[in-house]
Parts: sequence; structure tokens; C-alpha cells
Amino acid sequence: MIVVNYLAAVALLCIGLYAVLTRRNMIKIVMGLSLMEASTYLFMISLAYRAGSTAPVLLSPPPGQSAASLVHGHVADPVLQNFCLTAVVIGVAVTAVFLSVVVRIAQHYRTLDTDKVREMRG
Amino acid sequence: MTGPALASLLPLTVAIPLGGAVTAPLLARVSSRLPVIVSVAALAGSAVVLVLEAPQVFGGRMIAHYMGHWTPVRGQVLGIAFAADPFGLMLALAAAVIGAVLMLYTLSELGGLGPRELGGYACLFQLLIAAVIGAALTADLFNLFVWFEVAALSSYGLAGFFLERPIALEAAFKILVLTTLASFAVFIGAGLLYAETGALNFAQLHDSLTGHVTTPDAIALGLLVAGFGTKAGLVPFHGWLPDVHTAAPGPVNALFSAIMDSLGILAIARIVFQVFGVASTPALGLLMTLGLISALLGAIMALAQDDLKRLLAYDTISQVGIIVVGLAAGNLAGVAGAVYHLVNHALFKALLFLAAGAIVHRTGLTKLSDMGGLARHMPVVAGAFVLAVVSIAGVPPFNGYVSLSLIHQGLQQDHEMVPYVLTLTAQVITIAALGRAAWLAFFRRRPPDYEWREQLRPGMVTGFASLGACCVAFGVAGPLVLGRLMAPAASGLLHPARYARAVLSGSAQLPVARIPFDYVSPAELISVAASLVLAAGLAWGYLRTREPRLIRGLQAMHTGSVNDYAAYAAAGTLAAIAVLSLA
Repeated sequence: MIVVNYLAAVALLCIGLYAVLTRRNMIKIVMGLSLMEASTYLFMISLAYRAGSTAPVLLSPPPGQSAASLVHGHVADPVLQNFCLTAVVIGVAVTAVFLSVVVRIAQHYRTLDTDKVREMRG
Repeated sequence: MTGPALASLLPLTVAIPLGGAVTAPLLARVSSRLPVIVSVAALAGSAVVLVLEAPQVFGGRMIAHYMGHWTPVRGQVLGIAFAADPFGLMLALAAAVIGAVLMLYTLSELGGLGPRELGGYACLFQLLIAAVIGAALTADLFNLFVWFEVAALSSYGLAGFFLERPIALEAAFKILVLTTLASFAVFIGAGLLYAETGALNFAQLHDSLTGHVTTPDAIALGLLVAGFGTKAGLVPFHGWLPDVHTAAPGPVNALFSAIMDSLGILAIARIVFQVFGVASTPALGLLMTLGLISALLGAIMALAQDDLKRLLAYDTISQVGIIVVGLAAGNLAGVAGAVYHLVNHALFKALLFLAAGAIVHRTGLTKLSDMGGLARHMPVVAGAFVLAVVSIAGVPPFNGYVSLSLIHQGLQQDHEMVPYVLTLTAQVITIAALGRAAWLAFFRRRPPDYEWREQLRPGMVTGFASLGACCVAFGVAGPLVLGRLMAPAASGLLHPARYARAVLSGSAQLPVARIPFDYVSPAELISVAASLVLAAGLAWGYLRTREPRLIRGLQAMHTGSVNDYAAYAAAGTLAAIAVLSLA
């Protein structure tokens, strides 16, 4: 257990969510979402951690360990790390779409205030 | 064809539209209409492959394919498995067929766009449908997350694609924020389940979750329900849905409402029934609550709308609620009714949105208060709209009657009288809202000083005719459809162990489910007649009075601010987690 990591992940998540819920500036909302995204990566990587383990690479094991002992569980969980890699790629794409929408909104409405860009309500 | 040969065709159903999506923008350089024609062909091709699978799968024999032939070793699947059960196959088939019809319609309505626009549009459209087909067939939790993200990315593109109305940008920002929050929930939920059980495959997850669901598992379930509930448009995760539908053109609305929403419901049904198993969690209670709130709030908000597309969007929320109520009944009749209603909703809601889009196309009007007397000038559109409204209203012999009676039957079987009464109430309000819309737009007297724009084209009429014919066919042939298609689907959902065996061993046989259905049950006919009378009274009364305070209060809650909508979604997620982990 690495408690500090989990606490940091929760703190990041809360800061990001706070920004999304209270900030009116669209760029700040996107930043808040990016913070939340980073917190999910930290959380996943921490879930993958095993006490005393190394990276999930079987070639040239660190001193004191053999490839066989690595196979039997002395490595961090590679599946959760793969989760993060996939999500990082998706996250980049989503952020790009996000920012392009924000740019178009800025061009069209001449403001980034979510309170001024709400024609549709009720 | 034999089982293994059929199973090895499964990836094609996704690969064909994905290939179409890649080639569409390139073909746009040759001719501006070519991308759309290729998409119709690709979606039809995918549908043909799915139809090839259908006899065996709906006969009760589920089949599975392992990507890259990473077959299971000692009950563990390392790769990604695609499994065709009747439920998933039916939704995949509905997505492919309705997608092809919508694309054909697009060719007529939006065929005048430039090559770049049509290429990009065809690409995003096919990506979204490929994602729904993939989500319907996959048997892997992380793969489901990836399809969810593919659908999300293409929906962002489509929501902000048509900038002739700048509110599309506002809507795109809202769907981006809420769906991104939902994707975090799904991501953490999938990771938690994996960390607890060491499995991502639905079959292995089912095997390790039967009997003992730990607190982290329950939290994961809450996160997954909230995440996919956002895609489905359940209240309180629904903030994006009305805005996106108000801004987009008809075929995109139909795509979102008919096909994309079903991805969310499909994922919820898979996870609750086939991964967690029905008995082990209080998830059904949560779904029942969410469903009833969505059904009522959606219907009430629909009654108060002036924008036709926005009205239909709120009605989508209401119908999704009804479907989830049917699922939450948890018995054979209720689940079969829910699956039936899911397909029916895809048909009649696509029809309604295409009709609304055709009105915009012909007259440029979006508000009901500006319309009137359109039935004389647009008889085809009026006919399609009225057909869809009577289908939703559950008038026999149209399709809504069969699915709604099954859901009612499911609720009555377990003596869930409060949900039953609330469902009927939502139904009355829904009929009133849509009846009011039909009256205001098509039959009310108004001087015909319209500024006529473009005519209906053959492709549009084909779209109306085929969807309308399906609405009638699914109603008239109700008992046949129920026995051949819906009963196997419900049986697959309610026998998760068989589904798990199919995923792990390549194929498995489903027990045959018999669902009694009385087409002319007096109680059901009386309740339909009574709700029609009550709805007529309600609509007449509503047209004559000022807004009641309840409606004004609900409208004030929909502030249009993305911060508020995100707050509702976050609160809903926390509540779902709390209910599931504390119960």
C-alpha cells in the first residue's frame, strides 16, 4: 500500500472537480478536467504497484532477482499500466477536441465565460 | 455455416464500418457524394454479416471469437473476446440497419454540402456506429471502455459539426465536459474491478463476482452505472442531451437518440446482469429509481418545450427511463419488454427526429409556436410523425403497445405497484407532450405564409417509409418478434452463467424462454384507452393554462450552465456509489 499516492490522487481529483464545478472560464474547466485525468492515471499506477517490485520487464532483471522470480509476481501489474497508456492517448485526443471547440467558441461569442454562453436552458 | 466459421466473421462487423470511416474522407476528393454512398454500402455490409450470424444466435446458440486467436487457457482469457449473444447481436443489427437508413436519408437532405464536410461527416457517422457494434459484441470490460471513448469522440465531432447554428458549439462544450467526466468514472470503475478480481473478461469477472461482491466492487459498479448512464441520458446525468439535440440536424439527432443512447443502456444491462448477476447487488433498486426519475422528469420537461427537437430530446430521456424501469423489473417479461422497447425506441425516435429535421429543411422553423397547419403541405412528414406518436403512445397494433405491455406485465408480476403507477403517469404525460406537439405543428389552423425552402427528396421519403414500416411490422408481428428475438435476448441477460460459458468455451446453448403475451388483454387495452383520454385532457388543459409551478421549478433547474450540469452528474455519481456500497 502506498497511502500517499492514493491521498495525492484523491486530492488532485477533488481540485480538478472543484475547478470544473466552480470556474466559469472554459479554459479553466478544461484544466480542471486535465487534473482529474492525471489523478486517474496516478490512481491506476498506484493500484499496479506491488511492494518491493520492479518494472514489468523480464529482460536483464535487477540484481538479486531472476526472470523466473519476476514471472512469479515481483513486478508491477503491466495491465493497469497499459490502461494508463491507452487512456493517455485518448486523453490527448479529447483535449485537442476540447481546445478546438473552445477556440471556436471564443471566435464566435468573443467570450469564454460559460455563464454568457448559455442560450439553451429550460 | 458452422459455429467457428460464423464466430470468425464477428470482427468483420466492426472492421467494415471502420474501414469505411477511414476511406470516406479520402473518397471525398473524388466526388462529394461518394463518401456517403460508401458509408451506406459499409453499414449494409456490416448488417449482412450480422444477419448471417442471426439464425444461430437467436436459435439460442451463443458464439465467441478470440482476437488474434488468443484462446482461453485454463479458464482465463488474455486477449479480447467478441461474443455474440442475442441481446448484443440485436442491438448491433439495429445500429447497422438504422445507420444505413439514416445515411441514405443524409444523402438526400445534406447532399448539397461540400466534399470536405460530407467526407468528415461520413467518417464520424461510421465511427460512431462501429463503436456501438463493437460495444454490443465485446466481452471485455476495457475494450468496452475503448468503444465508449470511440463513440464519445465521434459524438463530439458530430455535435459541433454543423455550425450553421452557433448553439452547436455550446452544445459541443456541454457534451464534452459531461462525457469526459463519465469516461473518468468508467475508467476508474474498470480499473477497480480489475484490481479486485484480476480479470477484465466478462466471463471471468462473472465467475469471481458471483457470491462475494466486495465494497470496491460495489463502488466500481456505481461508477460504471453513472458513467454509462451519462451516455444513456439518465437523470441526473442528462444535462448534455437536450442541448445537443436542439443544435444538430435531423439525421444526427436520430443517430444520437436512436443508436448512441442504446450504447449506454446496453453497457448497463451487460454489467448489471451478465457481470454482476442479478441477485447479488442492490443495483436493480438503483436502476428502478433512476429509471422512474428519468421517465417522469423527461416527460414533464417535454410537455413544456417550445422547440420541437428539444421536446423530442426530453422525450428520449423519458423513454430511456422506461427502458431502464423494464430492466430493473428483473424478470423475464420486464427484461424482454425493455429490450423490445429499446429497439422500438430506436425506430420511432429516429422517425420523429427525421420528421422534425424535414420541417426545418422545408420551412426553416424550429419552434412549435411558429408552426401550424403543416399537415396540408407536408402530408408524408405529418403521416410519419403521427405514426411515430401513436407508436410511442402504445396504441395497438403499433410497436410501442407490445413492448409497453410487456414492461407493465413485468412490473405487475413482482407486485411493484408504485413503479407501475408512476410508469403509467409518465406515459400519460408523454402522450400529452407529443400530442400537443403534433397538434401545434401539423393540425392547428394558421395562415400558410411559410417561406418554402427545399422539397422532400426520394431518399428522405425512403427513410420515412422504411422506419414507419418497421414500426408497424414490429407491432403487428409482436408475438412472433417476441418469441424469436426478444425472448432469447432476455434469456441471455438473465442466464449470465451461460453467457460466461459461451465466452470461455467458444459457444454455449441458451435455455429457451417462453414469455406469455396476450395481444388483446382487456386490462392493457383499457389502460391504453384511459391514458389516451387522460393525456388528451392534460394536453388540452396545458394549452389553456399558464405554466404550473412544478414545471417552472424544473425549468429553472436546467440553468444551461455546464457547471451546474457537471454538479448534478457528480452528485448523482456519488449517490450511486453510496447506495451500492452501503446497501
